[in-house]
Amino acid sequence: MKTLWELKAKQAAVVETINSQLTGPVISRLQEMGFSEGQQVVCVRRSPFKGPLVVQVGDCVYSLEQAVAEKINLALAS
Amino acid sequence: MERIVLVGKPNCGKSLLFNQLTGLRQKVANFPGVTVELKTGQFDQFEVVDFPGTYSLHSLSKDEEIAVEKLNLAVDDDDTRLVVCVLDAARLERSLVFALQVQALARKNNKAVVFVLNMIDEVERYGLDIDIKALQKELGAPVYALSAKTLKGVAAFKEALPGLAKQAQAPTELNIQLGEQRKFIERARAINAEYGIRSDVVLKNQNRIDTFLLNNVLGGIAFLAIMFFLFQSIFTWAQPLMDGTEAAIGWIANTLTGMIGPGIVSDFLNDAIFGGVGAFLVFVPQIMVLTLIIGVLEDSGYLARAALICHKPLSLFGLSGRSFIPYLSGHACAIPAIMAARTIESPRKRLITMLTIPLMSCSARLPVYALLIAVLIPKDATFLGVFDLQGAAFFGLYFFGILMALVVSTLMNVFTRKSKELKDMPFILELPSYRLPHWKPLFQRVLNSGVQFIKRAAPVIFVISLCLWTLGYFPQGAGLENSLLGKIGHFIEPIFEPLGLDWRYGVAMIMSFLAREVFVGALGTMFGMSGAEKNIAGLAAQIQADGLTLGAGIGLLLFYVVALQCVATVAMLRAETGKSRIAWGLYAGYGILAYLIAVIAAHIF
Repeated sequence: MKTLWELKAKQAAVVETINSQLTGPVISRLQEMGFSEGQQVVCVRRSPFKGPLVVQVGDCVYSLEQAVAEKINLALAS
Repeated sequence: MERIVLVGKPNCGKSLLFNQLTGLRQKVANFPGVTVELKTGQFDQFEVVDFPGTYSLHSLSKDEEIAVEKLNLAVDDDDTRLVVCVLDAARLERSLVFALQVQALARKNNKAVVFVLNMIDEVERYGLDIDIKALQKELGAPVYALSAKTLKGVAAFKEALPGLAKQAQAPTELNIQLGEQRKFIERARAINAEYGIRSDVVLKNQNRIDTFLLNNVLGGIAFLAIMFFLFQSIFTWAQPLMDGTEAAIGWIANTLTGMIGPGIVSDFLNDAIFGGVGAFLVFVPQIMVLTLIIGVLEDSGYLARAALICHKPLSLFGLSGRSFIPYLSGHACAIPAIMAARTIESPRKRLITMLTIPLMSCSARLPVYALLIAVLIPKDATFLGVFDLQGAAFFGLYFFGILMALVVSTLMNVFTRKSKELKDMPFILELPSYRLPHWKPLFQRVLNSGVQFIKRAAPVIFVISLCLWTLGYFPQGAGLENSLLGKIGHFIEPIFEPLGLDWRYGVAMIMSFLAREVFVGALGTMFGMSGAEKNIAGLAAQIQADGLTLGAGIGLLLFYVVALQCVATVAMLRAETGKSRIAWGLYAGYGILAYLIAVIAAHIF
């Protein structure tokens, strides 16, 4: 399984699950922000030196750091 | 009074709508230790309360918890007539998740809800359209499409508002209970699929600008240019205003004491009131200018990008990307910098940032640096044959401050990592659309920053100023050397001995707690010079002749880099953290650290 952190720039995928290592409130916040199952995500940009990545989820653009992005599991879009 | 509650997700233009409804008069309620701000204004016979923008009724941090708690109380309150949920028309799905939760909360409390489809101008700009009537039916509540910016639809909304507040909650077929979190998300998505506009249309513009502003090379240059501009403006734009304030206070002091005539009353007014309290009013313009620029950066959408750019390097020291602007501002003045730290998402990182900001070399330290460098380093000395040694010393002191801040924040990060009270929020940052900031919310914000500062710092400054003045003035006519303060200085001289300094420096250091730059004037008085602030070179020559050793001088410089010699900062830290213990503990901690560094320096050099 691939995580959001492994997504390359311009690559698209679909959110599958969120790793339960994150606490319940953080998981539900991520879902409320758009990282819910079946939602399409597009990696807009990668920052150098493993800096936060920028993703487009639905109608918003977010910047996430590695610690969070690694916990979002993806199903690759066909 | 009857109340209207205003809620919405961050960046939905809620503050501007609030301003358009209530005009420029508003009250801001703050809660100690958290960043929650509730703004209250008046519209017709209603009190309008603007709640902080948030994504959910489920809180992640203490701040959100308090905001949600206040919202629950407000919706429950009998005086509340109407809940206005502000939606971003271009981001329907995201705004609806929270708005639907609030609708459910209002329904539970039997309160009426109205939805505002804000920023409808952005949708129309793309030639798109949202079916309001159908959306109204779908949501089971009135929907008003408007633009708080272009004022389109605002008049109609204002007209309808009193009627809406009187009408009972319309029954809806679809009832989601508050606990059913997934259903809100699904329903928001379904409504968006039906009525929302295509996201790539809206995001195209924003992404195009980001390809430039977040570009590894060009974006970096733009970032440096913007930060340089920010830094410059604090000094160059604020300076005339600060000088003006100083002159105005001086004029009032002169006029007033001139009317009273010489004596203890006029000495008191001149030195304790206008000298002490006035000296801190001088910082108000600087705070306001800085707040203005940070406000422009935030409202335009750039602040989020700056945080993104800085996040990785700063996270190595336990800080957030959002710590950068506070740190940079700290080089002008710690107080607006501590206020700017409010935007930091993680409470823990916010605290660490606030506690390390005072290590940045603020502008009040400049006169102290200038004096001591002039004493220690000959004017035309060079470093490695090229660099002016005095300039290099200045640079070294700034650098030392930043270095200390990073060391301290790393340590604090290690020690607070397990803290349950200070929850860490993950770094998830929405990059909002770029927008031209509107002057109304900015104006409010700038005005409020000045008022907040005066309210919070003035009482403490007044007390300290009064104490120092009393100690320095009595017995009357004895002069500072023979005053109570001078006696205390003699008494505690052994404390300053390991630093290679005598009691005169000790007295000046105590006096400078009011504000660091007071050190120069106070030391001048101890050397029998009046108006030393204007004649730093003269005082430097006297100190040289008096024989300040190199080690003691360097120690004193480093002491001023580290020590929290600023009562206004302590007062601000107390207000922002909500704990006196933290503020005064930090004062003591940095004091001891500074002292030890100075002792070591005095022995090495």
